[in-house]
Amino acid sequence: MNVLILKHEITLLLLALGVMLADLWLPPERKRGLGYLASAGVGAILICSLLTSVPESPFAFRQMYVLDGMALFFKRFFLVATILVLLMAVEFSDRIQAGISEYYSLILFASAGMMFAASANDFALLFVALELITVTFYVLVSFQRGRATSLEAGVKYLIIGALSSAFMVFGIAFIFGTSGSFNFGDIAAKLASPEAGLVNNKLFLFGLLFLLVGLGFKIAAVPFQIWAPDVYQGAPTPTTAFLAVGSKAAGMVLLMRVLFVAVPEVTAQWWKLLVVISALTILYGNLCALPQTNIKRLLGYSSISHAGYLLLGIAAATTAGQSAVLYYLSGYLFTVLAAFVVIVLVLRDTGAEEISSLAGLHQRSPLLAAAMTISMVSLAGIPPLAGFFGKLLLIKSALVVGAEHQSFYWLVGIAVVGVVISLAYYLGVVRAIYWGGEAAEKSAVTLSLPATLTVAACLVGILFIGIYPNPLMKAAEAAVLSFK
Amino acid sequence: MHLQTLPWIILFLPLLAAVVITLFTQRDRKTSATLSISAIVIGFVLTVIFIKANSFNPEVKEVSLNWLDIGPLQAEFGLRLDALSLMMLLVVTGVGSAIHIYSWGYMHEDRCFSRFFASLSLFTFSMLGIVMANNFLQMFISWELVGVSSYLLIGFWYEKASAADAAKKAFITNRLGDFGFMLGILIVWAALGSLNFGKLEAGLADNPAALGSLATLGGLLVFCGAMGKSAQFPLHVWLPDAMEGPTPVSALIHAATMVAAGVYMLSRTFFIYTPEALQVIAWIGGCTALLAALVAVQQNDIKRILAYSTLSQLGYMVMAVGLAAPEAGMFHLTTHAFFKALLFLGAGSVIHAMHHEQDIWRMGGLCKKMPVTYWTFMVGTMALAGVWPLSGFFSKDAILAAAWHHSMPLFIIGVGVAALTTFYMFRLVFVAFLGGERSHEVGHAHESPWVMTWPLRILAVFSIVGGVIGVEALFGGMLHPGGEHPHGLAAQLVYPFKHAPVAALSGLAAFGIGLFAAWTLYARAKEDPLPARIGTLSRWMRDRFYFDELYEATVIKVHDATAAVVDWFDRWLIGFAAVRGSAGATSLFGNVLRFIQSGSLQAYAFLLVLGVAVILFFVLGR
Repeated sequence: MNVLILKHEITLLLLALGVMLADLWLPPERKRGLGYLASAGVGAILICSLLTSVPESPFAFRQMYVLDGMALFFKRFFLVATILVLLMAVEFSDRIQAGISEYYSLILFASAGMMFAASANDFALLFVALELITVTFYVLVSFQRGRATSLEAGVKYLIIGALSSAFMVFGIAFIFGTSGSFNFGDIAAKLASPEAGLVNNKLFLFGLLFLLVGLGFKIAAVPFQIWAPDVYQGAPTPTTAFLAVGSKAAGMVLLMRVLFVAVPEVTAQWWKLLVVISALTILYGNLCALPQTNIKRLLGYSSISHAGYLLLGIAAATTAGQSAVLYYLSGYLFTVLAAFVVIVLVLRDTGAEEISSLAGLHQRSPLLAAAMTISMVSLAGIPPLAGFFGKLLLIKSALVVGAEHQSFYWLVGIAVVGVVISLAYYLGVVRAIYWGGEAAEKSAVTLSLPATLTVAACLVGILFIGIYPNPLMKAAEAAVLSFK
Repeated sequence: MHLQTLPWIILFLPLLAAVVITLFTQRDRKTSATLSISAIVIGFVLTVIFIKANSFNPEVKEVSLNWLDIGPLQAEFGLRLDALSLMMLLVVTGVGSAIHIYSWGYMHEDRCFSRFFASLSLFTFSMLGIVMANNFLQMFISWELVGVSSYLLIGFWYEKASAADAAKKAFITNRLGDFGFMLGILIVWAALGSLNFGKLEAGLADNPAALGSLATLGGLLVFCGAMGKSAQFPLHVWLPDAMEGPTPVSALIHAATMVAAGVYMLSRTFFIYTPEALQVIAWIGGCTALLAALVAVQQNDIKRILAYSTLSQLGYMVMAVGLAAPEAGMFHLTTHAFFKALLFLGAGSVIHAMHHEQDIWRMGGLCKKMPVTYWTFMVGTMALAGVWPLSGFFSKDAILAAAWHHSMPLFIIGVGVAALTTFYMFRLVFVAFLGGERSHEVGHAHESPWVMTWPLRILAVFSIVGGVIGVEALFGGMLHPGGEHPHGLAAQLVYPFKHAPVAALSGLAAFGIGLFAAWTLYARAKEDPLPARIGTLSRWMRDRFYFDELYEATVIKVHDATAAVVDWFDRWLIGFAAVRGSAGATSLFGNVLRFIQSGSLQAYAFLLVLGVAVILFFVLGR
């Protein structure tokens, strides 16, 4: 067995430990800059991952761990997200009273969890990776110990998270009990052979549903979405951003692996369930976002609706649908991070997170106003930005399936209605920026060079993916084809 | 193909300049202008280098990359480099360079100098996009970008109500044509499954009936796009108003390049037009040429005379395409780009000297004050009027010869328009440059600075020799292979008289008649004698045959009525019933959800478990 196959995770964990240790020796005023170092380190790992190709024998640890095209795609995704979130955290560091180095290293640990999740080929590794993510997030969410809202969000996330983990581990037990294996490949083989009768074994299906509860919690799909708005609002902004991008993507990759690698036969039976959940999630997220006045809460609901759009591609259960999911997530990464970076930078002094406090931003900082606008417009799915092509590909994949199952037409109809509703609240943010009346705060927003670069990187990402979608489409397709 | 990357650089340099100026150098006037000017001058130099390396006929004519493919839709982003596009590239970057440099002098005192150059560079990028596009989609995108930059430049002095209105009028009128263009593209794509010009041409050559019964309609819809951009009747109304923009803009966009894009597009897609479609195109071109020439006779604003003259010449070019002689149309486009840019820049020089006075009846005697402007303007006028051996003679003759071979009525119209052209241009010259001073501004007028006069000189040289430097053979070789095309200076000089002597002699006769009429009427006129002589007709000409009023009374009335109905629907059915209703429903929903989203942890945990139970029931319980 080749241990080097885990080189990304190992270096990432070493980096996290290094950051923790450096905290012991660095003088307090220099600890803030540790974030730059950490993101540079992650950048190096990203470059390394870009140079890595899928090895000939992609499995390790008796097929627990797999490094196929899909895993590699998501590892790169998580590394990019981690770099941007770390840079965001540096800008946020003045609002964290103590332990900024721990904050950085916890982000790195969570990121390592996501990297393992990308490679999980076994229910045991799936559980461990998810717990690594979730447990670090318990701390990350409640990191602003001085703020009651942060602590409250932490407690809520902890309890609901523990509950869903309980469901999940219970479900895994049933799956193991009925199939006799943790391994995705083995279970798929058992499902395929008719004499085992696993497809119709109610206990097995029961276990699988319980497992899906845990994954549904991660991606915040209805009816497991209830925690999202409160936690998004209360958590420190970089944590919220990482939750929206990293944690959701980890849930998505695991969902795709379980549904399409481990139990494809069951997935084919359950398409109705997926369609209904997708439709409900889209409607719930968009309708609830309408009356919101807090920008982070708004993005919380918006992230629920985006989980719904992503499920649309999963429900389609085709190569086109799955690659659309990958494409959509990549666009979502840059778009959402752009929005959160702007929130971190603008709402630094006021402390308020009301949408109305963005008023007059175009005078205080044209760059940030433009970034927020582009981000909102991309989230709403207007061409030529990343969000548009993602939605187009998802809806197109569902329409193709619609020829077989009529209900997909309804689902597409609901998705389009959802997009129309979402225009109202996304453009509401834009209106608040440009036509929101007199700004309470008039001073120009000062931007450090790294902050400007972070914003610029997100904007370039949104625009490039939107204007020249072909390379990413091809990469997503290749990733999806690799795990068949 | 050698030096493959050069075309990409040529294309993207102006865009880069526009972006950099907009984002970074707004406040630094000099840097902005330098960036914009160097982008286009470098583009011109690179074009020359590229043509030197590859000649006008590279072996590989396309470079492209796959932009996106979703199922059956394959969109590529590519450049097509053949004689047609390379010649056009030379014209756009060459004439464009002269005008960019001239703008430095002309716009020097303007407050928004940087914004002007940013828009100009954006325009250049879009125009180059049209020229080099290898497929309909890319051309359409550039087409729209050209529309946008034209809008920005016409409305450059947006604080002037007339400029803002003209910008809107141009944009909206163009939208009408573009809508047809888009439908045409969709028809072509639906029938042939590709948007690439090369593939379309090959496909139609294999199976001429591929477009089926929609062939004529599809071709005419595509032509609608050209009708809008090249301001053909009945969508011609925007071009004269577009003269509200700064004069260099009128020269670059509304005379030399953008309005020619329609003709270029027709030549590029010549293979899709059926004979019936070509007939319609020829007649629309002929009518535009005649109408515009008549109107030009009774205009008094120097730029408007030139604007109507542009319309009329565009009519010629479109007519040439319709007469199955796109090479003649492209030839005239090229020479016209030289002399019309020259005329506009000369007019700009006059306007600059006269402190923004544009009425020719308030000028007079400028030939002594502004000798360079006068002589170059004279060259432009003679070229436009078609004096042998200036460039305009050859290109106009090619069109008249095509008409002579194909259609007698159009030939007569063509010759008539040629006479009218000479008449109104010399009327302009006699009134504005010769005779006595008609106002005291003339006394203060003086020659423009060298940044403005040198572009005039250079353009004048090309206006003189443009007809005999092989442009005709180049276009002819590509668009009309197999025909005879003159090579060598001497052969080119006498070619028209050998090829179609009637056409050539009629052209010269038309020039003589026009000049004689202008001389008798205007050489010593104190005021315009025509209104007294021809009465009503003159008023109709002056008031542009009441097209604006006609549209005001019909199209705009209908549009306003539709808008009122739609507004009623929007206000009451959508705004009141649907939005208020759904807002009420949503806030109700929100309140219910607020009850759910209470923040109470026990409730959250309960709802989660309830959700699990419901799912279990639906999936396993039944």
